Amino acid sequence: MGKRIKPSVCVLKTDGINCDRETKHAFDLAGGKTQLVHINELRKGERRLESYEILVIPGGFSYGDDVASGKILAVELNSYLGDQINKFVQRRKGLVLGVCNGFQVLVRTGLLPFGTMGEMQATLGQNDSGHFECRWVSLKVEDNNACVFLEGMKGSVSYQVAHGEGKFFAQPPILERVETEKLVVFRYCDTPGNPTQEYPLNPNGSLNAIAGITDPTGRILGLMPHPERFTRRTQYPNWRRMKNLEPQGLPIFEKMVSYASRM
Amino acid sequence: MAIYEIRVRQTDVDVIGEGVLHEVRRTLNIPKLKLVRTAKVYRLEGITKKQVELLTKQLFYESINQEFALNSPIIKNPAPNYLIEVAYRPGVMNPEAASIIKSAEDLGIKLLAADSSMEYGFNGKINPKEVTKIVDRFLVNKIVQRIITVKPQTLLIAGKPGPVTTVQIRHASEEELLELSKDKLFLNLEEMKVVQNYFNQLKREPTDCELEIIAARWSEHCGHKTFKAKVIVDGIEKLPLYTRIKEASYPYFGDLVLSAFFDNSGVMRFYEGQAICGKVETHNSPSAIEPYGGAATGSGGVFRDPAGTGQGAEIFASTDMFCFAPWSLKEDDLPTGCLHPDYLQRRVVAGVGDYGNRMGIPTNNGSVHYHPDFKAKPSVIVGAYGILPIKRSKKGKPKKNDLLIMVGGKTGRDGIHGATFSSGEMTERTINVNAAAVQIGNAIEEKRTFDALIEARDKGLVRAITDCGAAGLSSAVGEIGEDIGVTVDISKVPLKYQGLAPWEIWLSEAQERMVLAVNPVNLDKFMDICRKYNVEATILGSFDGTNQLTVNCGKQNVAKLDYKFLKHGLPQRVMKANWEKPHFKEREIQPPKNWARVIKKVLAHGNVCSKEPIIRRYDHGVQGTNVLPPLTGAFLDAPNDAVVLTPILGKDYGVVISHGLNPVLNKIDPYEGSKWAVAEAMANFVAVGGNPQEACLINNYIWPFPDGESMGSLDRCVDAVCDCMHALRRPVISGKDSLSSTYRGKDGTIIKIPPVLCISVFGRIPSVKQTVTSDIKKEGSILCLVGKLDDNLGGSIYFDISGQIGNMGPRIDLEILPNVLKGVYRAIKGSEVLACHDISEGGVITTMAEMCFGGNCGVEISLDKCRPDRFLFNETAGCFLMEVKDKKAAHRLFKDLPHQILGKTIKGKKIRVRQKNKLLFTISVDDLKNAWQAPLKEMF
Repeated sequence: MGKRIKPSVCVLKTDGINCDRETKHAFDLAGGKTQLVHINELRKGERRLESYEILVIPGGFSYGDDVASGKILAVELNSYLGDQINKFVQRRKGLVLGVCNGFQVLVRTGLLPFGTMGEMQATLGQNDSGHFECRWVSLKVEDNNACVFLEGMKGSVSYQVAHGEGKFFAQPPILERVETEKLVVFRYCDTPGNPTQEYPLNPNGSLNAIAGITDPTGRILGLMPHPERFTRRTQYPNWRRMKNLEPQGLPIFEKMVSYASRM
Repeated sequence: MAIYEIRVRQTDVDVIGEGVLHEVRRTLNIPKLKLVRTAKVYRLEGITKKQVELLTKQLFYESINQEFALNSPIIKNPAPNYLIEVAYRPGVMNPEAASIIKSAEDLGIKLLAADSSMEYGFNGKINPKEVTKIVDRFLVNKIVQRIITVKPQTLLIAGKPGPVTTVQIRHASEEELLELSKDKLFLNLEEMKVVQNYFNQLKREPTDCELEIIAARWSEHCGHKTFKAKVIVDGIEKLPLYTRIKEASYPYFGDLVLSAFFDNSGVMRFYEGQAICGKVETHNSPSAIEPYGGAATGSGGVFRDPAGTGQGAEIFASTDMFCFAPWSLKEDDLPTGCLHPDYLQRRVVAGVGDYGNRMGIPTNNGSVHYHPDFKAKPSVIVGAYGILPIKRSKKGKPKKNDLLIMVGGKTGRDGIHGATFSSGEMTERTINVNAAAVQIGNAIEEKRTFDALIEARDKGLVRAITDCGAAGLSSAVGEIGEDIGVTVDISKVPLKYQGLAPWEIWLSEAQERMVLAVNPVNLDKFMDICRKYNVEATILGSFDGTNQLTVNCGKQNVAKLDYKFLKHGLPQRVMKANWEKPHFKEREIQPPKNWARVIKKVLAHGNVCSKEPIIRRYDHGVQGTNVLPPLTGAFLDAPNDAVVLTPILGKDYGVVISHGLNPVLNKIDPYEGSKWAVAEAMANFVAVGGNPQEACLINNYIWPFPDGESMGSLDRCVDAVCDCMHALRRPVISGKDSLSSTYRGKDGTIIKIPPVLCISVFGRIPSVKQTVTSDIKKEGSILCLVGKLDDNLGGSIYFDISGQIGNMGPRIDLEILPNVLKGVYRAIKGSEVLACHDISEGGVITTMAEMCFGGNCGVEISLDKCRPDRFLFNETAGCFLMEVKDKKAAHRLFKDLPHQILGKTIKGKKIRVRQKNKLLFTISVDDLKNAWQAPLKEMF
């Protein structure tokens, strides 16, 4: 990154968020200047979103996933930080990442898929299997997807999923728009790399095998699998079987940091 | 005030309803049930209709795939034949209610109260009896839940606090003392008399609260009376069990062990100024009657042990070891008042999974064991491991004028008498009488409390800390103040609802609470941190230098007891032990004619079969620390012996965690069985690359009620543990006993569990790069057996499937074992081992098969002169199958150890076994894998 200033990353914390430390670690590895920020600090104005380039909502069980996964935090964000977030995304051109529970929050605020804060367009529902599941899955990176900061990422990657409510669901017109606007970034796929509805390759029954999407600006990314759990090669269970294994989650963080530092 | 009811239903798929239907079809014979539909019910009190509509739109209902109904039914078209609504009992805190109130407040609406529940609609020509069966089995646990038949008029729980009463014991007769103790204090006559004397000296009667404090402090659960008792074995006096364990441990602490036995977990040195600590607990009694809540709060409780160690540790791993009756147990064989093992197992797994997952603590080492004698009381064992700076790892001591602060959850009537209850035997009445002793967990409360405490610790604001576990504040405050004295005002304790008597507040085992000593100058900073994390913190009193425990409720004194009496007043028990080796007839078995059939049966045995469906319910990757997970191999479905974690992110320093237990072997001979458990735990630890010289042990004893016979087996077990410590030169640094796993039925039935010694091992390695998994890595390598097999097959799965237990289990050679462990470690550290897996339940052939599952390959082996079945099904712990490059390497690596080159790895997925050039059998690895994976697949 040369002499460029390290972009500031706000990793949001609140009751029940629990992937914050490894997410911070991932951004630190990628060259970000990362802070864990409690939502109460934002609500009180002790910290402001405008001092960051990247906002991250990590995985976990915010407020116990009561009522629906990510719902209580989504309501809180809409109620107290709606304006700040809108400004952050639209005026400041900030980047947003939501992983797992963070993705559920982004969808329930309405930020994904169409950036309509306060209006939900899609949902992440209970897995078809009816239960929480932790396993490694293959993901196909969609060609020409609308995400602006993942340029150059292609083929397929392996990440771990760990969730009970990850089934992407939307009514047909919404789903169609998501597809035509190339908002799908990741799909669950089989070994040859084809999107699949087959369990457990597609661990939750997501429509169109959708695992991660962006918004029309391409600056917001949400995904169910956990790239922050694969920022070192030894985190992949079979690293001992694979000589030339690269940490496949790290590029997401590197590309976000790099894009933000060019802004 | 009106209560509004909002019902919400999925319009796409009703996953929960389908799940219930599936379970009914799988386990109950009710073919006429056709359809199960579900709805969520929210009840809101204290707001207007307009506000209800806003909340519905913003919070409860999502138009994309849901419909809702206000104050009207939603499960209709077709109308259900039966409609049942299940809610938590009043007083059992529904964690979701707090979230609803918070979210409403975020939307500008102030709710007076809220609740949520589930509604189930059944369609089909089923009769009421069948409905009851379904409801009892799957939907309602009467301990914490109930069926709503009448719409509630209010959601608020009212109540007047009970008075403080004094109890007349100074002149009570022996009968009266015993009557007082029964079902409540669980103290014996001698102990009751000591209490009587104490109050006679004080010339006053005790309050109810004082009696409860003494009973809790002196309970088996808190006082470990049996482990501290004088033991008379067959007429000869021996040292107390606890003394033996401690004395055997001390010589091996070296530089590694930082704290053992006296803090909430055992602490050992890690790297870069950090220490790691571990604790293993049981939650058998609560799990037996409410498996989900019991197991969840078991996890929650054991997490608080490392969190309450030193000035507080961060938890980086959770482990779970379970013993159940086989899930195929016939309903008729189930003792009265007990839950079916199929249900128990599913709910225990759900409880452990939900709590750990929500906390963000990876659950990544565990096992399940089955034996019919667990049908009355399962063993639910949970462990937790934490990391903390060495400089904050010493147990803190409160100073005079320090403030006593409680943080975390509110206090309710939950879990009252848990300490005394878990120390009593289980009877038919247990499930009714002791309902209050079961607690409900709220992982999110614990998570935010820990987040706040770690920040406070790092800022140096914590002087001392301990957790509220059994006997609640009574034991926590009792313990933290015992060297100095403390005065507490329990009217300050935040309550879930009004109406608790002072002794109930004091004894409540409400979850997710910790108590701390904080220097008054740090109070503001401490409170600011708690506020930031939405954690309630309350000053309850201060440490006063009186050496007394003074409990007030407002202006009224509730208890005033000398610490000296509490700590030292309990008379030492004298426990008689006699043990005779039981004789089990051992029938000679011929080697199988149909090898494939027998091997598949072994692999499909509950103790051997794949636990993948359970493992997948646990988040084992959260925190990003896992570098050797429970499952690896070509399809990520082959089991490993231990887990390896890197708790300092970005560094290669590793923590290895493993365990071993075998209840059946303890039944045959607790001495040899216990040695096996230690050997198995150490072998698991070493098999992945753990350093046997930098390991610490945790011992947990789950035993039947200590009558003469069980005391005798416990005595032998402890002797075995001590002998192992000396042989391995490794210390036990933490542990727990739970000596109440006996069931007594009204009809005189007595069921004792097979005694369980669970040994957990944790230790450190400088680099996780030098670790190895069990999956075979390539074709053409050598498969070598390292270690000395003992010829005895008693307690093996091979014997079990042929319907016998056997009279002698494998005897571990303690002279050879330490060298084998060291040799295996050296070989792995030198990066010369491609794969390693230890010999355990299911024997050599199981180990070999699992290595092939992971390698997606086969092996070709040739046996020396031996009984091939006694070799292949041999379960001697402390032996390993190792994949190495070639014969030369094998001989060089293991030249000083008993070892035997068995054969080589092959590409084809076959296991081919020869003996003296004669082909014994060839079996398809895929067939074996299917047999091994099938059993648990349908259950989970």
